[in-house]
Amino acid sequence: MSARGGGAAGVLRAKAAAFADREYWVRLVMFACAAISILAILVIFVFIFRESLPAIRDVGIGNLFFSTNYNPQTGHYGMLGFIWGTLLTTFGAMVLGAPLGIGTAIFLDQIAPERTARVVRRGIELLAGIPSVVIGWFGLILLVPFLARVTGTAGYGVFAAVLVLVVMALPTITTLSAETLKSLPPELEEASVAMGATRWQTIYKVLLPSAREGLLIAVILGMGRAIGETMAVQMVIGNSRGITFSLFGRTSTLTTRMVTEMAEASGVHRSALFAMALVLLLLAVLLILVIRFVSRERKPAA
Amino acid sequence: MNAKRADRIATWVFWVLGSITVGILAFIILEVLGRGLTTALNPRFLFGKPEAMTAGGGIFPMIVSTLYLVVLTIIIALPISVGAAIYMAEFARKGRLNNLIRFCLDSLATLPSIVFGLFGLALFVTAFHWSYCLMAGAFTLAILNLPILLRSTEEAIKLVPDTYREASMSLGASRWTTIRQIVIPSAMPGIITATILPIGRIVGESAAIIYTVGVFIRNVPVNPFDTAAPLAGYIWATQAEPGVPDWKSIVNGGAALLLIMVFVIYFLARWAGNRYQKKKLLG
Repeated sequence: MSARGGGAAGVLRAKAAAFADREYWVRLVMFACAAISILAILVIFVFIFRESLPAIRDVGIGNLFFSTNYNPQTGHYGMLGFIWGTLLTTFGAMVLGAPLGIGTAIFLDQIAPERTARVVRRGIELLAGIPSVVIGWFGLILLVPFLARVTGTAGYGVFAAVLVLVVMALPTITTLSAETLKSLPPELEEASVAMGATRWQTIYKVLLPSAREGLLIAVILGMGRAIGETMAVQMVIGNSRGITFSLFGRTSTLTTRMVTEMAEASGVHRSALFAMALVLLLLAVLLILVIRFVSRERKPAA
Repeated sequence: MNAKRADRIATWVFWVLGSITVGILAFIILEVLGRGLTTALNPRFLFGKPEAMTAGGGIFPMIVSTLYLVVLTIIIALPISVGAAIYMAEFARKGRLNNLIRFCLDSLATLPSIVFGLFGLALFVTAFHWSYCLMAGAFTLAILNLPILLRSTEEAIKLVPDTYREASMSLGASRWTTIRQIVIPSAMPGIITATILPIGRIVGESAAIIYTVGVFIRNVPVNPFDTAAPLAGYIWATQAEPGVPDWKSIVNGGAALLLIMVFVIYFLARWAGNRYQKKKLLG
């Protein structure tokens, strides 16, 4: 709105010029492409929500999300047992996977000779690319029989799922942790070593505390992978409908229940499975919010 | 315990942790290949039709389905990613809107693939009445792969030196001409490299496609709106509900073949990436 343009006519002329301008259109198209990400998440939310509405209406929020009674034949769709299954397997996978992943990252960054580190890094990238059905099949034909022999149980269950999830989440945790360690200013390490600290003291007292937020984000994203993993877990967890508190109990997670029953589900049953997808969607958004929060905390310190 | 001794123990522990990670990888690869390689490389298996009841079926239509799905997905996803990446790299200013786009991309990247699968089922298969078909899977996977494709494309565009843009603009070229004639051609090798890793993910994806594309076919799919059965989903379905007597050998062979496909794609990506970097250094 220039003062020289002379009122409404000037504004109109400026707008007309903008419309004629190809740059304007190009920019608009590019923006539309970028905005597809916003649209996609909205449409996904709307559709998953719409499909889960019948279950929310018929079963009720309490009986759907906060009950462990799940039995489609009798019309009970309480998914709390599967939410618990998801949390339990994810937690177990992080207990084993976080030290292993962060440890491997430290090994790559601080300890391994250059060439070894490069080979290991390639290997981890390769591990990230192995399809989940392949890892699941590996778990089914090797891990489950092995666990069955060692523990005297069926082999299927929470612990087998945890081990499979460790493999699935390991590349994410390791790669992101290694990136965080690499991005630390070299002066930190140099100062510590110059003061006479050993390598372990430097890692433990200087590097790990400075990388804290980045490592936390790496573990949270690893959790994201563990929560969402479907096929590999479905093949080894035993797929029972009950809730379990035992490491070797059979159970289900949200994802495995969805994939197991979707084929023959209809009506409220199908809608209840969509409600599980809704829970997973909210969990994913929650994880991203937590990461935003953690990385905002980091900024003032840097 | 003195500091030197603690240091030695810690070093040893980290070597063990690193070795466990490598050991897991090596063990999985050797086991899967060891069990399935002979089946996977058998021409009768590779080029045969699958059987529904009897033994001796092949997986040729599944291989074609997988490749078809890859091509369709990339055709849909790549233009959108390149457009969005250009916007993010060249036009976007820091602010709320930009933040929102990043937030949505991050959320999409963390969303479990089974959620994409159910979404695809609700929208493309049911609401659009497409039924199970390659197109439904391709659109689903295009959205699923948008975040990683966009990110690596954006990085490729950002790697183009600013001096290129300045030189072009100082000769009087407009922003769009600069992007079209200077930025995109210079970033092209990087953009091509950026598509290879999502291809690996599409090949390995199963949760998002079993309820959008289908899990069993007997003939090679021709039309994008045909039902198909990509390899990864077929492997899963075969072990979940074994219908043929030789299902174990089919799954072993399919898993080995899937692993080989993913590895070929990975090394292609490495090779292309290295070449791209060498060119950058020389150019």
